[in-house]
Amino acid sequence: VVEVVDLEGAVEGTLATGADQVVGMGLVGFSLVVFTYYTIWVIVLPFVDSSHILHSYFLAREYAVILPAVAGLLLVLLVGTFVAMVMWKNRKPAKKID
Amino acid sequence: MTKLAEWLLGLALLGGGWATLTFDPLGLRLPLAGRQLLWPLPAYLLVAFGCYSLATVGYRLATFNDCRGASEELQTQIQEARRDLAARGFRF
Repeated sequence: VVEVVDLEGAVEGTLATGADQVVGMGLVGFSLVVFTYYTIWVIVLPFVDSSHILHSYFLAREYAVILPAVAGLLLVLLVGTFVAMVMWKNRKPAKKID
Repeated sequence: MTKLAEWLLGLALLGGGWATLTFDPLGLRLPLAGRQLLWPLPAYLLVAFGCYSLATVGYRLATFNDCRGASEELQTQIQEARRDLAARGFRF
């Protein structure tokens, strides 16, 4: 645990390694779930008989491309909005010449 | 050849191979399962790479150890820098 101090030396907060570990391993777990589900969808299902119950857990094949594409566009939209907001906030008025 | 050119060549070759097999201009008629697997492959590789990136970031976040000494040293340096700049008239 590391303390964060301000100019007067007062303790402003602590960096909790515990939270880092939870978030970090959470990301790892999430990635594994997504990877496994997506791999079964794209790689495994074509070799599974169409009457098998496994197919009922997955949408039509087209969505395996549409959903990541939509998610990607959403990500670009969010990042672009963030950048635009930061640039707008940091705009300086044009210098006046006397 | 530059690294960029190498990567672009590699991508062009793989892309060309994928397009040839997917859109079947040669009329090769591959087995159905093979064709079903093949056409979403570029999207699959992108998603797989994204999952790997996210997992790597998360894992390194979870295993990055605190460096208490370095943190305290950095805090002292920050305070020193702020005092110095404030003395020179810099407004925060």
